Amino acid sequence: MSEVATVVVGWGITFVILATYSTWVVLRGKGIGQELGIGEVEPDVEQDTGATTDS
Amino acid sequence: MLLVARKDLRVERRAKIALGQVAPLALLILMVFAFALDANTSLLERGAGGLYWLAVLYGGTLLIQRSFDVETDDGNMDALRMSAIGMPSLFLGKALALFVQITVLELILGPGILLLYNVGVVDWALLFAAAIAGTLAFSVCGVLWGVMSAGLRVRATLLPLLLVPVLAPVLLAGSRAFETALGVRAGAGWTWAGLMFVIAAVHTALGLGAFGFLLEEG
Amino acid sequence: MLGANSGAKMTATPVTRVLGVSALAATALMAVLGLIVSPPDVIQGEAVRMLYVHVPSIWIAYGGFALTSISSVLFLRRSKRRADQGRHYDRLAGSAAEVGVVFTAITLITGMLWGKVTWGTYWQWDARLTTTVLLFVTYLGYLALRRLPAEPTVRSRRAAVMALISFVNVPIVHYSVDWWRTLHQKASLSVGRRPEITGEMYWTLLYSTLAVTILATWLIIHRYRVIRLEELRDEEGLEALIASRLNKDVGGH
Repeated sequence: MSEVATVVVGWGITFVILATYSTWVVLRGKGIGQELGIGEVEPDVEQDTGATTDS
Repeated sequence: MLLVARKDLRVERRAKIALGQVAPLALLILMVFAFALDANTSLLERGAGGLYWLAVLYGGTLLIQRSFDVETDDGNMDALRMSAIGMPSLFLGKALALFVQITVLELILGPGILLLYNVGVVDWALLFAAAIAGTLAFSVCGVLWGVMSAGLRVRATLLPLLLVPVLAPVLLAGSRAFETALGVRAGAGWTWAGLMFVIAAVHTALGLGAFGFLLEEG
Repeated sequence: MLGANSGAKMTATPVTRVLGVSALAATALMAVLGLIVSPPDVIQGEAVRMLYVHVPSIWIAYGGFALTSISSVLFLRRSKRRADQGRHYDRLAGSAAEVGVVFTAITLITGMLWGKVTWGTYWQWDARLTTTVLLFVTYLGYLALRRLPAEPTVRSRRAAVMALISFVNVPIVHYSVDWWRTLHQKASLSVGRRPEITGEMYWTLLYSTLAVTILATWLIIHRYRVIRLEELRDEEGLEALIASRLNKDVGGH
């Protein structure tokens, strides 16, 4: 593979992996959110104390 | 201490049953290595150190598995947890039992490679030191990671997955030390043996600290 | 229930929306800088551009795994006082680890491609590559441990302990493999891939690291949320199961 081809493939694979993973994470979040019927979920890292306080 | 010893004996008695299967299996593995390498004598001679430790890894993993299967199958885990045996004793007791079992395994593998792979021992002291260090490391890591995957349904595949990356440096060190001891390659055999002792020590410390956490259920 | 909108079901907050847009913009700029603006290397030519994805990735991976370990310590300390406490640390540990694994994979793939074009082989048994693979498998194991069918507290605790042990063990592995390869290095072998990084290359690398960090942060936050949602779902599922059993008992007699 030529230098340019390698760079294109390398960067390409990187972006594909990141895009796919990002999409999966976001869609999964929305999916489960829908299941639970939750609207705006704001589980702040700071506020969480572990016990479910809502609903 | 008495409790630890008694626990060892109990495990050992069971171990005799396990060793009856594991030891021959390990010997078989040595044979199979030869088949895989087309009985290439020079390859086998050069690789004897590494192949030995591969066989120990295989047999050792089975023994570790068994060491914890026994506990969970008999429902011993709860009894142990609630007993007066301190976590440190429990950890060291199991490690000691495992050490004994793996040593017996190696006592068969050792002559095995000497005979089958046609290697001679140049440095007996190094050989034994390396063997002990490696076995120590295997035992301690085995107990620690065995507990991590104990009592769970997929432990059979999980244990090796967790254990091998951890034992990789031990495998590395053991193979290199043995190569020097078997006169196959001149090298820093004693440093490798030392590394294995360090790994064993570190994991003993970690194990003593973490064992309590790991056995607490909820 | 938190404001059940029948319309858009979002899992975003203002913070992550800003972060997400920034990540997108930053990575786009990174591509422009890395692929076009920055100069080719004197020796490697265009191949040097792999540097800008390969190196930031492994740095972020290390950062992620460090975050996992720190989170695990905090989790164990919190959960010691009360079994239910500190779960957010556990979630953070899991989230950071998964993102770390993704970036380690990217590191390996880009590393192998880069090696193919600079060394001529996809693989060399050099210390860095070997330890990176071991690191990858170690945290794959960690993720596997997190997915086990067991009580959540048991599972979290074991995962946390593993993270801590790995934190100690990874340097040991690194040192061992490194020493092994230095001993066995033949004189001609293993040409270092890192070019002399000066001027524009240096800034491009730095900037790329920043861009990847923003992206990784956004990913970790979102992944954290998914974990939390999964926990909620499991809890609700359990409650529903218990409730239906109770109803059956009442109704059936």
